[in-house]
Amino acid sequence: MILKSIRWRLQIWYGLVFLAVLTGFGLTAYELERNRQFRNLDAEFQKRMGALSSSMRPPLGPRGPGPDRGGGPDDQFPGGGPTDDRGGGPGDGFPGARPPEDRPFPGPGGQDFQFRLPSSLTNLFGAESNSFYYVIWGRNGAELARSEAAPRDVPPPPPDTGPGGQPPPRMRGPLREFFHATPGGGSLLVGSSIAEDLAGLRVVAWSLAAAGAVVLLLGLTGGWWIATRAMRPVEDISATAVKIAAGDLSQRISAADTDSELGRLAAVLNSTFSRLEAAFAQQRQFTADAAHELRTPIAVMLTQTQTALSRERAADEYRAAVQACQRAAQRMRKLMESLLQLARLDAGQETMKQLPFDLSKLAADCVEMVAPLAEARRVKIQCAVPPTPCLGDPEQISQVLTNLLANAIEFNKPSGQVRLTAETQSSVVKLTVADTGEGIAPEDLPRIFERFYRADKSRSGAAGHTGLGLAISRAIVRAHGGDIQAASPPGAGAAFTVTLPLPHRPSS
Amino acid sequence: MRILIVEDEPDLLRSLAQALQEEGYAVDTAAEGPSGLFNAQTYDYDAVVLDVMLPKMDGWEILRRLRQTKKTPVLMLTARDQSRDRVRGLDTGADDYVVKPFDLPELFARLRALIRRGAGQAANVLTVGDIVIDTGARQITRGGQPVALTAREYALVEFLALHHGQVVTRTALYDHLFDENESSLSNLLDVHVSNIRKKLGPGFITTRRGHGYCMGGPA
Repeated sequence: MILKSIRWRLQIWYGLVFLAVLTGFGLTAYELERNRQFRNLDAEFQKRMGALSSSMRPPLGPRGPGPDRGGGPDDQFPGGGPTDDRGGGPGDGFPGARPPEDRPFPGPGGQDFQFRLPSSLTNLFGAESNSFYYVIWGRNGAELARSEAAPRDVPPPPPDTGPGGQPPPRMRGPLREFFHATPGGGSLLVGSSIAEDLAGLRVVAWSLAAAGAVVLLLGLTGGWWIATRAMRPVEDISATAVKIAAGDLSQRISAADTDSELGRLAAVLNSTFSRLEAAFAQQRQFTADAAHELRTPIAVMLTQTQTALSRERAADEYRAAVQACQRAAQRMRKLMESLLQLARLDAGQETMKQLPFDLSKLAADCVEMVAPLAEARRVKIQCAVPPTPCLGDPEQISQVLTNLLANAIEFNKPSGQVRLTAETQSSVVKLTVADTGEGIAPEDLPRIFERFYRADKSRSGAAGHTGLGLAISRAIVRAHGGDIQAASPPGAGAAFTVTLPLPHRPSS
Repeated sequence: MRILIVEDEPDLLRSLAQALQEEGYAVDTAAEGPSGLFNAQTYDYDAVVLDVMLPKMDGWEILRRLRQTKKTPVLMLTARDQSRDRVRGLDTGADDYVVKPFDLPELFARLRALIRRGAGQAANVLTVGDIVIDTGARQITRGGQPVALTAREYALVEFLALHHGQVVTRTALYDHLFDENESSLSNLLDVHVSNIRKKLGPGFITTRRGHGYCMGGPA
């Protein structure tokens, strides 16, 4: 599902926000431009309106009633008819007008009224269709005058006037018309076609829309690019994880920038993968080693049985073959038991008994157990373990100690010595088994506790050596909360030290 | 045919040696690296069965040193069956490679093939006159009739047949047919040759006095 993709969701959100911002911006810009245009236009209208209305002010003086006589509309237009002949006084309403234009306004009943624009205003109202025009109505709504360019049927102003005494400007198609109440109760209209201005505004609107679309497109492209870039490490991680899931544990995420959030995630994942790979490799190695250990005894059994059965044999030949098979089987049993013990120790299933025992007695028992082996090799064992109360599984500690002693005897030189000593240090006891053999090579020393690791590669064949003894010893000691270490100073044999925690003594 | 087995697991060594002896081979054994290398360098074995994990010197090292002087066919015996090990074995100069645990019949077959190739013979059936030697079945027929031979007699016939047309010295025969413990019995060879002549006809093996024996060559 495409909408599930983070990149797409990012892109959609980003696009929507961007679109809203752009729309708001465009609308604002258009509105500002439109207001500016209309303000300019309206100023033009107001200029003409002002000029017209001021020229229409009723003349003061004896011929015309002043405003103080009551604002009747009739009074505004004194005189019953055209009075061309009167000429003389320049009316206030049409300053500087020539006599033919300086006609008094007709009375309400005047039919043959002709309004002539004062020359000073002619440049304000042209004859062209797109120029400003005016229409003047009397109090009764009769049209009194109109300019040349005024459209034929200009509707009279709405009777309902606004709070300022003037109806708001109206739009009739492309025509914008302003009203002004004349002092006599009539009204004055100034209008003009603003089609060109409206067309200009439309161009502005389309330009804004086009620019907005281009910017939106650029923004979306940029956003997609950024989202792709931002998502690439995630995709790398997921691609690598897919490969690892498919079984290729050697894959790593390439994280060039380890300081970024994703880089740190990649580093963490990489180290997890490394540990996983190491664990798998160890497991594989362990399985291979275990299988390898089984191969030789099985080879013995196969060869022995195949040889024995290839023809009729004397009883003692059969016996020899069966004995060889028995030895091989015993070796496999020992290996199997060791593997099981290790597996239990690994899983933490080996229940650690917490029994009190005395270390010196346990050490003496172990020495006694390996005495026949020591005698056979003419190795002397010195045991100097002071009585030390311990807590743990004495059987398992015995196994560790016996294993260490047996190793010390076996890898000793003829007529060598094995020293078993113990030293108590604050809360731990250190048990050391030291021999006088050839010691352990420095390159083997760090690895001797590994499973199936043998310093002497050939010892696989030697019966009783599974290559697991030291690994089991370490697992047991660690399960007791202690540790085991090996040291081999050049020319001084090998020394294994088992550190066991001592139980807390009551009060003292 | 004389074979050296170098193997440190005593039970395996003993049963392998016994099985190979019963197949008619002269068998020498060594339980550790250095003595195995010494034997392999000293005698002209027809094949060496070499374990990889050995005390004191491992199989790789023995093979490396042996290859400096000898082309004796070597069959490596190992408990590792990873292909890396097989590649290493073959690259070091091993002629074949058997993984423990193995089936004895397979081991024997591989040894026979090694010995045949070592003697420059590719086929496992050798024909000399009306006598056919099937080295796979270890059986000899004369005119289509099987002839019963002891293992040692068969080995002698096979060795001469592998070196068909060549004069084989008594020393060589002793070296290849008898192991270290038997070599002192000097007239044993004559007894076997005389028995073979009784079974396969007097002209089958010719004696070159002062040189040795020859099969199928110019009389």
